Amino acid sequence: MVTSTETIKNSKVPKRNTAHRIALGEITPNNLGQLKKLNTVLFPVNYSEKFYKDVLEVGEFAKFAYFNDCCVGAVCCRKEQINQGTTSDQAKLYIMTLGVLAPYRNLGIGTKLLTHILQHATLPAQHPKFVEIYLHVQTSNEEALAFYKKYDFEIVATVEGYYKKISPPDAYVLSRKL
Amino acid sequence: MRELPSKESALFKQILKYYEYKQYKKGLKAAEQILKKFPEHGETLAMKGLFLNHMDRKEEAHEFVRKGLRSDLASHICWHVYGLLHRSDKNYGEALKCYTQALKYDKDNMQILQDYSLLQIQMRNYEAFNESRLRLLKLRHNNQRYWIGLAISYHLLENYESAEKVLKAYVDTLKEKPGPMNFEHSEMLLYHNLIIEESGKFEKALEHLESIKDDVCDRRSWKEKRAFFLLKLERYQEAEEAYGDLIADNPDCYDYYNGLLSASKINTEINTSELSSEQREKILGIWQTLTTKYPKSNLLKRLPLQYTTDERFKEEVDKYMQAALRKGVPSLFVNLKKLYVDPIKEIIVEKLVEEYLQNLKTHNTFTKSSNIDDEIEQPTAYLWTLYLLAQHYDNKRDIMKALKLIDEAIEHTPTLVELYMTKGRILKHGGNFNEAMKVMDEARELDLQDRFINSKCTKYMLRNDQPKEALKTIGLFTRGDAPDPLTDLIDMQCMWYALEEGECYRRQNNFGKALKRFHQIEKHFADITDDQFDFHTYCLRKVTLRAYLGMLRLEDQLRSHPYYFRAAQNAIEIYLYLKDNPKTVNGEESQNYDNMTEEEIKAAKKAKSKAKKAALKEAKKAPPTKEDQSKKKVQDDDPEGEKFLKVEDPLREALKFLQPLQILASQRIETHLLGFEYYIRKKKYLLALRALKRAYNIDKENPVLHVNIIQFKLEVSRLEKEDNEKREPQRDSTEYQTIFRVVNTELPTILPDNTSLKEYTEEFLARNKGSISHLLASSNALLQINPEYKQEATNILMNSIKDEFSNTRTLKHCISVYEQLKNNLDSSKAEEFKNKCKEWFPISTYFTGLDRDKNDLKIE
Repeated sequence: MVTSTETIKNSKVPKRNTAHRIALGEITPNNLGQLKKLNTVLFPVNYSEKFYKDVLEVGEFAKFAYFNDCCVGAVCCRKEQINQGTTSDQAKLYIMTLGVLAPYRNLGIGTKLLTHILQHATLPAQHPKFVEIYLHVQTSNEEALAFYKKYDFEIVATVEGYYKKISPPDAYVLSRKL
Repeated sequence: MRELPSKESALFKQILKYYEYKQYKKGLKAAEQILKKFPEHGETLAMKGLFLNHMDRKEEAHEFVRKGLRSDLASHICWHVYGLLHRSDKNYGEALKCYTQALKYDKDNMQILQDYSLLQIQMRNYEAFNESRLRLLKLRHNNQRYWIGLAISYHLLENYESAEKVLKAYVDTLKEKPGPMNFEHSEMLLYHNLIIEESGKFEKALEHLESIKDDVCDRRSWKEKRAFFLLKLERYQEAEEAYGDLIADNPDCYDYYNGLLSASKINTEINTSELSSEQREKILGIWQTLTTKYPKSNLLKRLPLQYTTDERFKEEVDKYMQAALRKGVPSLFVNLKKLYVDPIKEIIVEKLVEEYLQNLKTHNTFTKSSNIDDEIEQPTAYLWTLYLLAQHYDNKRDIMKALKLIDEAIEHTPTLVELYMTKGRILKHGGNFNEAMKVMDEARELDLQDRFINSKCTKYMLRNDQPKEALKTIGLFTRGDAPDPLTDLIDMQCMWYALEEGECYRRQNNFGKALKRFHQIEKHFADITDDQFDFHTYCLRKVTLRAYLGMLRLEDQLRSHPYYFRAAQNAIEIYLYLKDNPKTVNGEESQNYDNMTEEEIKAAKKAKSKAKKAALKEAKKAPPTKEDQSKKKVQDDDPEGEKFLKVEDPLREALKFLQPLQILASQRIETHLLGFEYYIRKKKYLLALRALKRAYNIDKENPVLHVNIIQFKLEVSRLEKEDNEKREPQRDSTEYQTIFRVVNTELPTILPDNTSLKEYTEEFLARNKGSISHLLASSNALLQINPEYKQEATNILMNSIKDEFSNTRTLKHCISVYEQLKNNLDSSKAEEFKNKCKEWFPISTYFTGLDRDKNDLKIE
């Protein structure tokens, strides 16, 4: 699920202090605790141990975002084979989580995370080939919807009752062809 | 019979070769071959023992060496071997004796002389060392190391002139000068210079330094020495240039700036607040010039904070803090804290940072500005401001305010390890070790490869009396190929852990294990002393002479190290306790149940027997597996340290720890206070008095000292009275008479004759207003003077509620006051006091009873 991400930058925001660095970093068994902390704060969902195990396996498709050396956000994806069982070499990429801590929003961190994923998903050497990237967004999360639309994601479906414990329980499926 | 037939004689020579080349097995075989024919040949017997010693067969080794010596008492080889054996057992005194014997029979044997001199320097026998080195040089004067060795021996005897002469003579013997940039030669020249410097002749030292300029590799040392000598010779103009030059090399070295100030005739020894405003302006001017020259120097940004006050300081610190907060410098508070010696500066900092916080909250800038075009700060600036302010209030022990701020910071950025560490620290200061530990563990889990946070977390577990958890945690970072974490920690001489664990066991009244740890520390220090042995030859060979001298001097002061002091103080206090409570020794009643309810006692006893059973069970299962054996696990036959509890004379053990302190830490008052406790128990009254006087000269207002003086006076008066009344014939009356005479003339210098003890205490209290530790001491003293003074003693303690004591009202003091009230004075007053404490220390486990579940955690 994805909540709380970027809105389009307001052009009237005054000039910022320029001294800041945004960087991406690896998620490893040693700093997994930070991902757990982020998820607890960002999403109203408890992720299973399996989630964290899988994250360590996907390489460039799970990343931390650092702002001035503080860990403030992360993206975690899952690779999904199309037509499981066949020898198809096509796959989809599912964004499980993408989020940035509240005080650090609208600073381009979400964009950095998403473009990183898009870039790596479309690398020519990528195998299997990703044909699509998709995710779920709570129907009420306008901030997130606007953010993904900016990157050419489209609503392709609505899943009623997708969420169990939060309201509204419905989610849009956002997707983009690669 | 020493002469062997020619065949065996040749074989014996071969044996000596085998030893030299460390071919111990071959050597052993050859020795046995000779012994078949000549079983009583002393030198061969001795050599056989020496080989056995190197093959880890200690007992046999001693046997054969001794046997060999018996059959050939006039053999220098036998004595030499015996000396080597003692040396390998670190029994240097005995080894020295053997060498002396060996030299009797072969006085010019180079090898023996060489070994002899090593032992002499190890034992710091400078005169004898000098004699040996002189003989060595006479025998072999074409080798550099014998010249240098002799020079060192003169240097250590402070015979600088001869030391210098030897080095000069050596240089003169060189047929050709070593090339430029020859490291060994360069070191020797710098050592020569050091000798001149230590003789106090700076003029000559400077001259010499200039003369060796082109031959010295260590340019930095050369420059530093030159600047230092110029300063010493009061050639200020040149010194200033020299230090300016050094600053250009490294603009972040504090010493160079101090040198520069001294060259500008500014006293750097005194407190900066004692400088005149004129001097201050001068200094600030210097900093300003340098800042434009070296804009990247961090030190130059900080130095002005030390030399400014009031408005100027505010300006400077404002600039300094904003830059650091913007950049995100976690250590900012540590730098600021040093400035808090000036309370006005502390107030200025607090006010500024509070303003930052408000402004950042409302419009994202540090200052209240009206300019709309101003740059706004990043979210991390707000974060670091919260962090700084939390540390500031923690330092002021405003625990609740600090907690509120750090919680806000954690909510802002919950992934930052530093925030949890500070929160843990705040909780610890608030007296809640359990919560503090939990938060540290949370921090640890954020970054599992951070050894620092892992160690911090371990320490907090020990402070929370959970040694098992602590060992598991530190075990995450000990070597994987060690048999177990504890063995590795001991091998690595990890002293902080041993100290914290020892103190943890002491708190739990597990004195055996505690003593085991403190003795372990003593062992580490003994090992460090032994380790220097190899350097006596190594440094001579490598000509690292300045470093060698430094090492010798460090070793001489080794036990003045704070770690040793802490271990020794703990060990002495425990041994004193064991002396006073001998029944503890027998184990069963070793728990201190004083502060427990009956149920708690039961539970504790039950847990103890359960733990004992479990330990036994564990020992029984776990037969040694192959893996264990390959790891060479050394079985600890006394893991509980029971042998330390069972010592016959705990006071003698205490003395072993006390003596190094008396020599090396005599400037610390605790040394003499511990000394007093020792001597009073040994009934050595004159030495006890000496300890009191030494303590008095360090700090006459020390609270513990006051109680000790009273105790001493009471005890001596009682003795004197007894002595007068009884006149026991068996008592050596004259000895006591001497003691009384000395005490009666010496004691009045610290305890005036014409005041009663009660008056003395009242005066003491009046002199030390506002201090709770002095209240405690006075109350204690009154009770000792007369148990009937209970009411007064109680009243004194209850004074601590008054506002004037708020500055010294620490958690530790308050616990002592409460326990004294509760256990010895007035339990209803104790409750009244406790209720106040709950207000002062709202999160402390001790006073609020929070976290009682802690005990459940402990018993696994």
